[in-house]
Amino acid sequence: MMENSTTMVKITNVHKVFGKKLHVLCGINLEVKKGETVVILGASGSGKSTLLRCINFLEEPTAGTIEVDGITITAGEDDKKRENHILDIRKKTGMCFQSFNLFPHMTVLENIIEGPITVLGQKKKQAVLYAEELLDWVGLTEKREEHPSRLSGGQQQRVAIARSLAMKPKVMLFDEPTSALDPELVGEVVDVMERLAKEGMTIIAVTHEMHFARDVADRVLIMDEGVWIEEGTPEKIFNNPDQERTRQFLAHIL
Amino acid sequence: MMAKTMHPGAAGIPLEAQQVLQQIETKKTKYKRNMAIAFAVLFVFMITGLIVLGLDFKFMAKWLPFILAGSGYTFLVAFLAISLACILAVVGALGRLSKNPIFNSIATSYVSLIRGTPLLVQIYMWYLALPQIGKALEGYGIPGIQRLLTLPAVPAGILALGVCYGAYMTETVRAGIQSIKIGQTEAAKALGMTTSQTMKRIIFPQALRVIIPPVSNEFIAMIKDSSMVSLMGVWEMSYRALKIGRRHFQSLEMLIMVAFIYWIMCVLLQFCQEKIEKHMARGDRRIS
Repeated sequence: MMENSTTMVKITNVHKVFGKKLHVLCGINLEVKKGETVVILGASGSGKSTLLRCINFLEEPTAGTIEVDGITITAGEDDKKRENHILDIRKKTGMCFQSFNLFPHMTVLENIIEGPITVLGQKKKQAVLYAEELLDWVGLTEKREEHPSRLSGGQQQRVAIARSLAMKPKVMLFDEPTSALDPELVGEVVDVMERLAKEGMTIIAVTHEMHFARDVADRVLIMDEGVWIEEGTPEKIFNNPDQERTRQFLAHIL
Repeated sequence: MMAKTMHPGAAGIPLEAQQVLQQIETKKTKYKRNMAIAFAVLFVFMITGLIVLGLDFKFMAKWLPFILAGSGYTFLVAFLAISLACILAVVGALGRLSKNPIFNSIATSYVSLIRGTPLLVQIYMWYLALPQIGKALEGYGIPGIQRLLTLPAVPAGILALGVCYGAYMTETVRAGIQSIKIGQTEAAKALGMTTSQTMKRIIFPQALRVIIPPVSNEFIAMIKDSSMVSLMGVWEMSYRALKIGRRHFQSLEMLIMVAFIYWIMCVLLQFCQEKIEKHMARGDRRIS
């Protein structure tokens, strides 16, 4: 689909072992092009969240290489610039969590301008201008002075997306963004994600939201016990999967 | 029909529901009234008790200014000591949570040692034993150290109380920091914040809210423990009250008076605490 585009995220042979024995990721490779939307599916405990968290180093990979927009970090390499590289990767990646994790002591607006001001050193005025634009984009302008506890789950997740976008990231990581939401609130969040994908954002999403996987994703990957078992276009994965386990998994969640 | 939040008395609420709401309202009013009565009765009992005891109010009034003159020491010692304790507590808590072995072991030993020894002993340590340490050090060839370590009573008291309370508050602050969910740290890190930015902008402001009540507790305890500086001959409030009471054989009057003064101070502090807590709770979901 995007044959000629540049690589945005490249994961090479990544392993993650928790403790001494729990081998969660077993040599994962993944290459995501600029502007591509990739959805990762898999049973719970299969390692998909861990993989996502390895990309921005919320989890340290035990082995392997992570590359985001030209910044490369290899696990286990003791480099003095490593910490800075991790911060650089995090500045380039936005992440949305299942539990939103908005800062409860700040208003919606303060949540959004916190990153640009503290991390990027922007002037408050400039940060507020862009934050207002983003709030308008996620449709929550009237909530700017509210604290997160006064918002519904769907609204909180939209603020969380705006908060990530305020950093002008190159990649957005979604870690089950709709799993904690009431069914009637899922739509408003998926809608924002869909618009984001249409505007050309590179997206890696772990989600069970089948509409998003089927209609928005360029590519779907299925993970099981720390390895890919299948990958392909949504049409192929949903209509004609090669693997029996993919079939079983899809039968389970559809 | 759309389910909307209705206010009591709004049209559409059935009569029996309105009656229940009315009952709840009446119950609340009744409770408030009974509380007021109970407090008033207690107050009357207390005043009657004081009169029945045959207290010499003239005597109390005569010495009140003299005793209040000692409150300066109480405030000075308590305020400076709590400031010192707060600084030590934050540094100590960061040490206890640190992965740096030197920093961590110092903080852990500090808490263990200070919490494990009586405040009384610590006060005398600062006041009486420190000069001796100075003397020993001078013997090793550090000139002038003995004079430096021979502290006047008030600074010794401030240091003793500050260091002691700092140890207790270290654990309070540590618990406060640890009570903040890991997701907050992750969200801050995902934005690209450094560890210190995360602590300063995200974790600490939230932890502060959790630790205000226990820290106020410490502050109130500190106001009263500041009377311990009288052990070193400082003429602060309780020392004055004891002296005057003994001299005139009217200890009861003096003790009751000084107790009241402390109480009033602590009530004022509690009032401040409630104000601060309310201010900090503004991010909460409001239920009313």
